[in-house]
Amino acid sequence: MTSQSGRSQILATWQEAFTRLNANQPGITGLMNFTKAWKFAREYLYPIDINNPSTKVYAAHEVRTAFEVLGKARRLAAIFEAFLEDMRTQQHLITRDVNHHMSLHEETSDPRAVADLVYRLTEWHSAWEPGQEFGHQVLSAFNHTFQTHVFSVLPASFSSGFKSLIDMTLQPYLDKEESRSRGGEYPADLRLWAGFECLGMLERYESLISSVCYEAIEKHVWDKCARSWAEPELVNLREWITDCIVPWMLLPYARGARNSEEAKVMLQGVGARFDFHMCKTLCDLRIGEIFDIIVDYPDSKGALQDLKECLQRVDQRSQLVLALRRANARRLLHPGADTKDILAQYVSIMRCLRFIDPPGVLLHKVADPIRKYLRGRPDTIRCIVANLVGDKESGDSLADVDEPVQPLSQVQLEDYSDPNWEPEPIDAGPDFRKNKPSDTISTLVSIYDSKDLFVKELQVLLAQRLLLVQDGNFDNERRNIEILKVRFGEAQLQVCEVMLKDMTDSKRIDQHIQTQNECVLHSTIISRHFWPPLQGNKLIMPTQFKEVQDQYANGFAEFKPDKKLHWLPQLGTITLEVELQDRTIEAEVTPLEAAVIGLFGEKDRWTTEALTSSVGGTIEESAMTKALNKWVNLGVIKENEGGEFILLEIQEEGGAKPTASRQAVMEEAPSVMTVEQQQAEQMKVYWRFIEGMLTNLGSLPLDRIQTMLRIAPGYDKTVEQLAAFMEAARREGLVTVHGAHWKLNR
Amino acid sequence: MEQLTSSLAPPRASTKQPAQGASQDAAGSVTKRLSSELMTLMMSSFPGISAFPKSDANLFEWAGTIEGASATIYAGLRFKISISFPPNYPYAAPTIKFDTPCYHPNVDLTGGAICLDILQDKWSAVYSVQTILLSLQSLLGEPNNASPLNPDAARIWDKPGEFKTQLMKFYRPINEDGPI
Repeated sequence: MTSQSGRSQILATWQEAFTRLNANQPGITGLMNFTKAWKFAREYLYPIDINNPSTKVYAAHEVRTAFEVLGKARRLAAIFEAFLEDMRTQQHLITRDVNHHMSLHEETSDPRAVADLVYRLTEWHSAWEPGQEFGHQVLSAFNHTFQTHVFSVLPASFSSGFKSLIDMTLQPYLDKEESRSRGGEYPADLRLWAGFECLGMLERYESLISSVCYEAIEKHVWDKCARSWAEPELVNLREWITDCIVPWMLLPYARGARNSEEAKVMLQGVGARFDFHMCKTLCDLRIGEIFDIIVDYPDSKGALQDLKECLQRVDQRSQLVLALRRANARRLLHPGADTKDILAQYVSIMRCLRFIDPPGVLLHKVADPIRKYLRGRPDTIRCIVANLVGDKESGDSLADVDEPVQPLSQVQLEDYSDPNWEPEPIDAGPDFRKNKPSDTISTLVSIYDSKDLFVKELQVLLAQRLLLVQDGNFDNERRNIEILKVRFGEAQLQVCEVMLKDMTDSKRIDQHIQTQNECVLHSTIISRHFWPPLQGNKLIMPTQFKEVQDQYANGFAEFKPDKKLHWLPQLGTITLEVELQDRTIEAEVTPLEAAVIGLFGEKDRWTTEALTSSVGGTIEESAMTKALNKWVNLGVIKENEGGEFILLEIQEEGGAKPTASRQAVMEEAPSVMTVEQQQAEQMKVYWRFIEGMLTNLGSLPLDRIQTMLRIAPGYDKTVEQLAAFMEAARREGLVTVHGAHWKLNR
Repeated sequence: MEQLTSSLAPPRASTKQPAQGASQDAAGSVTKRLSSELMTLMMSSFPGISAFPKSDANLFEWAGTIEGASATIYAGLRFKISISFPPNYPYAAPTIKFDTPCYHPNVDLTGGAICLDILQDKWSAVYSVQTILLSLQSLLGEPNNASPLNPDAARIWDKPGEFKTQLMKFYRPINEDGPI
C-alpha cells in the first residue's frame, strides 16, 4: 500500500517537473532547449578569473533568450543559486589578491597598498557582478555574498591600513592656506571612494572614518589653541571646519547628493557630531589649562569666552570644577603660597568664573575649599584689610578700580514676585545662594562670619600707619576711613574716627604747649581706650631725655590738668647730633638708640648688660644689639674683645664704614599688638577664670564653663572656640576630661 | 533744668524709675565691685588661695579654696569654704564658713563658722576677697588661742603631734569629681 501511494506521488511530481521544463514542447525538445539555456546562462554568469580573462563575447539577444527560457521554466532562482555556488568555488582568487596586497601593506605600511587592494577588489566586483537587468534582489544577494567573503578574509591589519588611507585622503584638505591656493579644488580620488561604496566599506568602517576626522580635529585644536588665550578661537575653529573638513566630508558622507541642498541635509548629522567633538576637545584643553588661564586673567579673556561657549554645548561643568579644585589644592592652597597671592588668585577665580557662569554655581563649588583654607591662615584678615585700605605701594589692589565703593552687601532672600525670577541652575548644591554678595570685597569679607574681626584688624593697621606718619599729613588715612565707612557702616568705625581725631588733636595740643614753653619734644597724644594695645618694652630714657620729657609733661599738665601723660618712649624718633672730639655726627634714630648714645655721654665703656639695666632692664637683647650696631655702623663706638663697647672720641682709620656683617639683627618690631596677640593675651585672662572655677567648683561640663565665663569681662568666644582651647590645654597637661567633665590636672 | 527734663519725660517712666533705679544701682554697684574683685583675684597669683562665684547668675555666693601654707601644720591640706556677700557689701563683711571640717582653735568644727576679727567688728570696706583669703590662710598657721571657738584645739595647739592626729581625724579631702 505504502509503496504504491509513494510511487504514484513521485510519478506525479516528476510529471509536473517534466511538463514545466519541457514547456509543452513535443518530445523532449523543450527539455533540450532548457538544458542549453541553463548551460549558456551558467557560463555567462560564471565568476571569471580576471587574471586571464576569456575573450568570449556574449550576444545580448542570446543571453536574453536563454534567461527567458529559464524564466519560463521558473528556474531563475536556481540559476542564481548555482551562480553563488560558483562564486564560492572561485573565492580563493580574491583571497589570494587580498593576501598579496595586505602582506605588501604590512611590509611597507604604505596606505597606497590598501588603496590598490580596494581598486583590485572593485575590479573583481565589477567582473563578477551580474548585470543590472537581473533586478535588485539578485544584486543585493550578490553584494552580500561578495562582501561577506571579502570581509571574512581581510586580516586584522586592514582596519589600521584603512584608517591611514582615509587619513591620507584627508591630509590635503587640512591645510587652509594650501586649499585656498588651489581654489577649493582637491585631488579627490573618486574611484577610490566609489570602490569604498560598492564594497560596502563606508558603512562598515564608518566609526574609523569619523575617528580619523576626530583625530584631525583634536590635533588642529591642540596645535592652534594650546596656551594661546588672548583671542577667542572658537570662531576660527568653526571656520576651519567649514573650509577644510566639510569639502572632504562630501566624499564619505554626502555620496549621491545631487545638489548642495541635499548635501547639506546629509551632512547635518555628522557635522553636528564633529562640531560637538571640536567643542569638547577645546573644552578639555581649556579645563586642563584653567589654572594658568586664571593666573593670566585678564589677558586670557579670549580663552574664557571660548570656554563659556563650549560649556553651553558640552556638559563639562563638573569636570571644570573638579579640575580647578584639584589644581588649586596642588598649586595654591599650600604653605608655600603667600596669603596675598592666594587672595589675588581667589579674586581672579571669582572674576573668571563669574564670567563663565554668571549665576555663580561654579564659583560656589570651587571657592569653598579656598575660603576654608583662607579662614585657617592667620594673616588673611590683615591682607584683606591692607587691601581695603589700599596700600599705595603695593600697586595692584584686589578690588576693581572701577568697582564702585558700596556698602557690604548682605545676603538677600529670594524675591519670588520678581517677574524675571529664575530657578537656581540645575547643578547648584543645596547650600548655594543665588543672591550672594557679588562684589569682590564683600565676598572676601564674607570669608569670616563677623565683620568685627575686620574692624579690629583695621584698627591695628590704622594705628601702625598713623604712628608712621611723620609729616602730619593724614589725608590718606582720612580718605581710607571714609571709604571704609561706606563699606562697613559708620558705627563700626567710630574707634578709627577717634584715632584720627587724636592725631589732629595732638598736633593742636603740641602747638599750644610749644607756645607756652618752647620744647624740642613734639608729642603724639593718643587715647588709650580707643587704641589697640601698644606693644613694647618699658624704656626708661636716661638723663637729658628724661628732663625734656618731664618739662613737656609739666606743660601738658598746665594745659589739661585733669589728664596725665603716660609716655611711650619706644615709639618716637629722635634727631640728634653727637659731638665728638674730632667730628659731629647727625642722625635720626630710635629712642633706644638715642638712650644708648646718651649713656655713652656719661661713661666711655659699657657692657650690653649694664646698658640694658640702665634703660629699664626690660629691653630684649636683640633690640639692644641692634641699637648698638647702629652706632657701630656710624663709627661712634666699637666693640672690643671683652664684649665691651667703647666710645670712639677720635675716629679710627677705616672704622667709619665697618664690616657689612654687622647687619641689623631683626626687623623693626611692630609697635602695635596684632589681633592675634591681643587674643592670646585675652585667652590668658580667661584661662585664669577657668582655673579659678575648676579649682573651686570641682569638675565642670563644657557648657557650664562657657556660661560661667560670661562673668569674665569681654568674653565673646563661642563654645566651639572654648572647646578647642580646652583641648589645647588638655594637650599641655593642664586639664583632664572624664566623661564630659573637665577637671584641673593636679 | 533737671525739673524741666523730668517733666518732659513720659509720666509713667518718671513715676516708676527713681525707686527701682536706686535699688538697681545699688545692686549694680555691688555686682560691679564683686566682678572687679574677681578680676583682681584671677589676675593675681597668690599660691594656695582661690575663689569663684558658684554660678554666673548670682555673684553674691562664692566658693573658695584655701591651702595650708607650707611649714605649718596644715601644709598640703586643702579646705573648701563658702563666701556669702551681703547686699550692702562692702559696707558689711561677707559671711564665710568652712565646708571642709577644719580642726582649728578659731573654727567651729561642725558648723564651719570662723572667729576672725576682720570678719566681724574689724571689717572695713577696703578689705577684699583677696585680703580675706590671705588672712584666713595665715590664720590657719597662727591661730588666736585667746578666743577659741574650739577649746580642745586651742588646748592641744602646743602639742603638734596630738594636734595633727586630731586634725587628720576630722579632715576630709576635697572630692574633685563630686557635685558641688
